[in-house]
Amino acid sequence: MIRRYALKRLLVAIPSLLIATVIVFSLSRLIPGDVVTLMMQENQYAQSLEEMREKLGLNRPIYLQYFEWIGRAVRGDLGESLYSSRPVLQELARRAPVSLELGAVAVFFAVLLGVPIGVLSASRQDSAEDYIARSGAILGLSAPGFWLGTLVVVLPAIYFGWSPSIKFIPFTSDPWGHMVQFLIPGFLLGIASAASIMRLTRTQLLEVLRQDYVRTAWSKGLGERVVVLKHSLKNALIPVVTVLGIQIAQVLSGTVIFETIFGLPGMGRFLFDAITERDYPVIQGINLVVVTTVVTVNLLVDVVYAYLDPRIRY
Amino acid sequence: MSTDLTFSRRDLLKLGGTALAVATVSRPALIEAQTPKRGGAFRFRGYTPPHFDPHLTASYTTMINLSFTHSRLIKHKTGPAVKPGTFEFEGDLAESWSQPNETTYIFKLRKGVRWHNKPPVNGRELTAEDVKYTWDRFMTIPGNANRHMMAAVDKVEVLDRSTVKFTLKEPLAWFLDFVGTPMALCIIAKEAVEQFKDLKKAEAVIGTGPWMLEGHEPKVRTTFVRNPNYFIPGLPYIERVEAIDFDDPSARLAAFVTGQIDAGGEFPGMMIRRQDWKIVKEKRPNLRYVEFPANVMVHTGMRTDKPPFNDIRVRKALSMALDRKAILDATQEGVGVLNPPIPAALTAWSIPFNQLGEGAKYYEYNPTEAKRLLAEAGHPNGFSTTLDYATYGSQEIIDAVQMSVKMWKDIGVDVKVNEKPYGAYFATSYVGKQDGLVQGPQFPALEPYNFLAQYLPGEAKNQSHVNDPVLADMILTSNKIFDEKKRQQQLYEIQKHIAKHVYYIRGYSAVYIAALDPALQNFGPNLGYDYGGRLMAAWWNK
Repeated sequence: MIRRYALKRLLVAIPSLLIATVIVFSLSRLIPGDVVTLMMQENQYAQSLEEMREKLGLNRPIYLQYFEWIGRAVRGDLGESLYSSRPVLQELARRAPVSLELGAVAVFFAVLLGVPIGVLSASRQDSAEDYIARSGAILGLSAPGFWLGTLVVVLPAIYFGWSPSIKFIPFTSDPWGHMVQFLIPGFLLGIASAASIMRLTRTQLLEVLRQDYVRTAWSKGLGERVVVLKHSLKNALIPVVTVLGIQIAQVLSGTVIFETIFGLPGMGRFLFDAITERDYPVIQGINLVVVTTVVTVNLLVDVVYAYLDPRIRY
Repeated sequence: MSTDLTFSRRDLLKLGGTALAVATVSRPALIEAQTPKRGGAFRFRGYTPPHFDPHLTASYTTMINLSFTHSRLIKHKTGPAVKPGTFEFEGDLAESWSQPNETTYIFKLRKGVRWHNKPPVNGRELTAEDVKYTWDRFMTIPGNANRHMMAAVDKVEVLDRSTVKFTLKEPLAWFLDFVGTPMALCIIAKEAVEQFKDLKKAEAVIGTGPWMLEGHEPKVRTTFVRNPNYFIPGLPYIERVEAIDFDDPSARLAAFVTGQIDAGGEFPGMMIRRQDWKIVKEKRPNLRYVEFPANVMVHTGMRTDKPPFNDIRVRKALSMALDRKAILDATQEGVGVLNPPIPAALTAWSIPFNQLGEGAKYYEYNPTEAKRLLAEAGHPNGFSTTLDYATYGSQEIIDAVQMSVKMWKDIGVDVKVNEKPYGAYFATSYVGKQDGLVQGPQFPALEPYNFLAQYLPGEAKNQSHVNDPVLADMILTSNKIFDEKKRQQQLYEIQKHIAKHVYYIRGYSAVYIAALDPALQNFGPNLGYDYGGRLMAAWWNK
């Protein structure tokens, strides 16, 4: 049964992905200015703007450009960076792990902080702990990432003479150092998501705690730990899992800021540079990877959702 | 406490206020009478270039990297005794040079100079043929944005294995400045071009310079290692150079305060921001630092070939409507230098402000007089125009534009701002394709000719569409004056003429801060991209 459900969700995901590719392809061409003028200025690869556009295939109808691009993308060819002439796929292969690692650490902290604090807050409703947790969540949601990142980089440097390393440490040269360098940016990146998860966990758990079956559990004389963690939390977490899927997309977009501040050579920083340089193949390639990741994660979330709640079928 | 050549904020303000070309009010550092030590690494904020081919880009990111690995025929003298903003020549690959007549230059190359020991060149000896090959490629490869620098060269001939002769079409007094510039003209190896088709890849970075490129991770770091066969025995002293690529200015501050980088270089993207400077001085009390005016000059150009800007009274009014000091206070913490037509940073050629004559008064903030001039020009209620600019990612540039627009509005001139992306701006407004005004920083050349070319009809840099035959003649005449004293005098006359006609509206330049680890010895910062050249004789006293 669940296999059939998963298959249906997969079929729905394919048109979503295709629509996303059309948006990705066309939006990057709506950025003001274009790479041709920039490349002409810096590199003068051709005698005129028209010749340059022809060289890059930008003079053909946009739908032809799209079909050509998507055809190559399916075969694993995302083209070459217009700016550096390096294959986009090769660059992404080097950078995607950095962003995914950062994203994974962020999600880890988001869940690690969000769920337990949400549970604590719900089970101690209107207590001091609850107010502190809720205020903290509001703070976490409203503090801009770039501000937090800047504070964490600058303040320890001023007061303690310490600052996170600006040099990226590859896993192969120092595995421990490599992992440690993701902890601070990952934690900061996960704060906003942790706040969302905390608030949702609290709300959902409060609702579940008021259900009849929970009252029955209390009346049976079960302890708080069993009632809350065993009987209530699983049901309360179902919407949280859905939100977690959405949070992953947000986390990936947040990597742009944190990779820039912490000097991590990931996709976010690559995307930022590519937008500045009007590097269409790179912008499209990164967005394609992000869109595919988000669609895949949401697909997985849907499947997990069905697993957690057998009543859910479409 | 500063132990190096410095001048204080108060000094700078005083100088700026009296409208003097600040030049470098600095004293030479005390050169330690110690034996230089070999070893150590130098770490600084570096850049990832689009590629490494110096003939296919004008990007400073490429040139800065190649300054460590490549040599030129001649170069600028370096060291703590060199005043920033001054550029004396010394031989690099050339042992000596002569000028038998006004259009001929003969360079004698050093013997025994070897290319980096990397395939396909494998450490072979450099010859005059390499110089000719470089020039031929420089002049013929499609897409060389710097070709104009050598436009005066008629032919390059190899006289023997170590002698090369340049013949110019006409006398050009700036020829050596162009040959010595770190912006473009490093000598390359033919085999590398043939093997890699071009020099874009990191593997193709094979020069004769003091360091060899060891590794290049885009957007992470570029590392250089000492060239053991460098042609100056014993140099360089520093074993490794790490150019770490990180963009964020706060991270730069933190990295410098915590000793993760050894210098806050004298360039906007490397420099410690002025607003962070107080913290830096507190946290690194023994810091060595040098402050000197930037050769990046911000100006406003306008269509002087069309109404209303073809009326000199309108141009004067726009200039006098600007409170330059207020803009400086808002954007540069009040520290900067006022520029005559040739930036104050180029101390040998920029006219001192007190000698600028009539033109100096149009730098003064006088909105009443500006309104009067506008009314006299037939615009008692002002007029509307446009202003093109690019942000360059700089808040200071945005703020300066907004303040200028507000000040012009105060005298009745309504300016509509067109913010353009960098590329589009460069392809259009930067080369004079604008309807009204254009504002932005100019190319940081190390010689005055690049700045004066902005007044020559037909030159791409002539954003204001200046067509002044008298001025053009003065500039072209100055190109043929080889006596430096006389040429300086001619340039002074040119600047007086320009200032009087207000073809461009000039503002302040920032003052660079080069911050250095106190243990770094024998290093003197300067303008230009030659970081490798300046670091060559430096050493660590740790």
